[in-house]
Amino acid sequence: MTRLVKTVTEMEGRFEEKWVLVEDDGLVSWEAEAALRHVGHPTPRLTGPQRVSGAARYTVDVALPGMLHAAVLRSPVAHGRVTALQVAAAEAIAGVRAVLTPASELGFQQRSGPLHDEPLYAGAPLAVVAADTLAAAREACRALAPSIEPLPFTVDIETAWQEQRFDGDLHEEARGDVEAALAAAAVRVELVVSTPGQLQTPIEPHAAVAWWKPDELVCFIATQGMFDARAELAKRFDLPPERVRVITEYVGGGFGGKQNAGFEALIAAELSRRTGRPVRLVLDRHGEQLDGGCRPATRQTVRLGATADGMLTAIDAEALVEFGMSGWRAVTTPALTLYRCADVRGIEANLRLELRRGNAFRAPAVMEGITALEQAIDELAIETGLDPLELRRRNFADRDQSADLPYTSNSLLWCYDRAAELAGWPDRDRWREPQADGLLRGMGCAAQIWWGGGGPPSHASCRLGGDGVAQVVVGVQDIGTGTLTAARMVAAEELGLPLDRVTVRGGDTAPAIYGPVAGGSQTTPSVMPAVRGAAAAVRRKLLALAGDVFEAEPDDLVVDDGRIRSRDGGLDEPYTAVTAKLGQASIDGSGNRGPNPDGYRANTFGCQIARVAVDPGTGSVRVEGIWAAHDIGRVINPLGASSQVEGGILQGMAYALSEQRVIDRTTGVPVNATMDDYKVPTMMDTPPIVVAFAPLPDTLLNTVGAKGLGEPPIIPTAAAIANAFRHATGRRAAALPLTRARVLEAIA
Amino acid sequence: MKHPITLNVNGTPYSVDVATAQSLLYAVRDQLGLTGSKEGCDDSECGACMMLVDGRPTNSCSYLAVQADGAEITTVEGLGEGDELSPLQQVFLEEGGVQCGFCTPGMLIAATALLQANPSPTAEEIRIGVSGNLCRCTGYDGIVRAVLRVSREGASV
Repeated sequence: MTRLVKTVTEMEGRFEEKWVLVEDDGLVSWEAEAALRHVGHPTPRLTGPQRVSGAARYTVDVALPGMLHAAVLRSPVAHGRVTALQVAAAEAIAGVRAVLTPASELGFQQRSGPLHDEPLYAGAPLAVVAADTLAAAREACRALAPSIEPLPFTVDIETAWQEQRFDGDLHEEARGDVEAALAAAAVRVELVVSTPGQLQTPIEPHAAVAWWKPDELVCFIATQGMFDARAELAKRFDLPPERVRVITEYVGGGFGGKQNAGFEALIAAELSRRTGRPVRLVLDRHGEQLDGGCRPATRQTVRLGATADGMLTAIDAEALVEFGMSGWRAVTTPALTLYRCADVRGIEANLRLELRRGNAFRAPAVMEGITALEQAIDELAIETGLDPLELRRRNFADRDQSADLPYTSNSLLWCYDRAAELAGWPDRDRWREPQADGLLRGMGCAAQIWWGGGGPPSHASCRLGGDGVAQVVVGVQDIGTGTLTAARMVAAEELGLPLDRVTVRGGDTAPAIYGPVAGGSQTTPSVMPAVRGAAAAVRRKLLALAGDVFEAEPDDLVVDDGRIRSRDGGLDEPYTAVTAKLGQASIDGSGNRGPNPDGYRANTFGCQIARVAVDPGTGSVRVEGIWAAHDIGRVINPLGASSQVEGGILQGMAYALSEQRVIDRTTGVPVNATMDDYKVPTMMDTPPIVVAFAPLPDTLLNTVGAKGLGEPPIIPTAAAIANAFRHATGRRAAALPLTRARVLEAIA
Repeated sequence: MKHPITLNVNGTPYSVDVATAQSLLYAVRDQLGLTGSKEGCDDSECGACMMLVDGRPTNSCSYLAVQADGAEITTVEGLGEGDELSPLQQVFLEEGGVQCGFCTPGMLIAATALLQANPSPTAEEIRIGVSGNLCRCTGYDGIVRAVLRVSREGASV
């Protein structure tokens, strides 16, 4: 039955009640003990052979006949006024086909134009050139030789705070009376922590290839959300959405930074519209590091009050955010939700600086908040003399503290126990004993909370052909997370087919089967139930047809391992005994993600423990191990999930140790906008990582029992490392990353 | 100025005219249409463009096409036999050494060069040997496991 129902959906903590179309698929979530043939078993990725053979076509690899190449001229100053551009000189370069400047009349509408005559950050686009070759486009950019009158700028949080340069209003959320509770507390802790600006640094930069054809705009875009991209292009260019097609076959990493159509696709489409030729725009690495986006730096103050035996009585968190996403406040969310506490306050101020505005980077805001909160909790453990994990267990929140609602599932206590067991936590103090190599060692922990329940709308289709092979279509692109592989596993499970008889297609809006943006850890819990529903619809139809063919009652038949069997064992025929009779016809089914359960919050949880070794002579910090236990509901593909966790941990480790956008305060310009100077971890930096998942599917949330995993693993790593550093050295650095200079200062 | 050169890529000789400043990477990607090798940084920082030039792992973004005239070049497309993946490519998949796959072509080339020079590397030697290749998705462990496994199984790379 098809219904329109109202349900609450969530994306990175922003809740919305909306109408969604629901076709009831009659499925109940697989139970924890269900014997599943594919789901839950390590499975290599579906598109793996293409990825290791060089055959995978990323946006940067798309080459179309007559294609032009575009290059971007960027602001060399943090703030200025462009007084002249040598457009005629640029146009005179051989092969130049179009030059766009702030004065150009564009075919699309955007609130603040994409090209700036008053750039407000270093790296802001000033002009774009399309030419027959990339070399000619770049030469023309140089020929534009902008004259720029420098204007004053502010690039540090402290000055912006003193000047009260707020972007939007202060955001405050509170319950109870935090000041009174702090005043009455037996134990009080206050901690000020600074966190760095972190750049997503996907190895494939932002890229788009646009082709404005008479009847259709086709855009190949390196994006995490092809339907969002389509909607943005349609809206900006005032086109019907069905006349815009977005293709995203492969994406070389996103980490939050590749949203919508973006500057690249809008500009490439505009250049194609003007020139009548396909246009490719790929950011060069410097452009990517300047303008691809970032996790904004913060300065946070956390004050905690507790009883002598460690029960939290007050949590007060303040965050100054260095020009974060407009209207997006979540740095203090962990303070408001992670622990049971009646008197709580979170205040956030987003400060406007002459820096590239922050955008989403894996667990945006929440990771920053956890990094501060979990260090303060660690201080409280020291102050009360309690084991840090025991302190966390005592303050466990079994309900969402902000919404006062139960969780669909919560295995955080299991995560504490499992991480402790894997890491050898009870013996952690032995690492503090004098070490033969003269290094200072210690172990620290941190907890994690994030949303990741997903929700509607998300759709899928499934078609079974005469050859007995099922083709699933989903409305999402695989940005490297293994979404298509997981979809194949879920469909094969429901259809009782071997994996090699299920194919999955995504990465193209043309089939008009909608899927959500790959963000907020929502893809798996949104898309997989839709895939299961579509496969179940096909299974039911197949069994009805099998009933006709074999003169059996469909309810007595089951599918397994590519065969149709009767429950009594009397019938055992291959799929093709039915499907071969289809001729050119096919068995089709569609599925959708059902509504979220009323009156619940869906969250992921986890705990990580880190062990570090600090060299007191050089100030170097080495992570010697990370033990991670996460509650993400059912794990669809353990191979992909472990890899996701390892990758998230490495990015979290880098946030604690090496990655930092460094701004020259005298010029306002980032000085390390290259991959050489911006310190992404190498293979030499990788610690041993041990991963465990809570063995409890979230059967209330959706029909596959899965929650999301994209964000969770990055969230607690930096705090766990900072706490291990505290355990090792007895000191806490006021700012991350723990560079050698900061370490030597902290332990001096 | 254009220079006529011959690039022997994956066993096939190609005659092409290249500009003096043309990188080997762009000659192979744009002129030969072999797009497996990627540009991540254009500055020898990330290794996504790595090719074997006369057996030596080389960042092709920073290597002139004219320097490669007459050289034997291997790209990721040349590691397997037709549709058959090489043992190294296969174990990369089985050990979870691939996520988005953008760094993978360079990783495979670097690992191939390492195994040719040292057929039985330790995990530490692998980490050193492939540390010039950046990956932003995996935690690198799957890649190390894959190279170790290939060397232990003694398969030719």
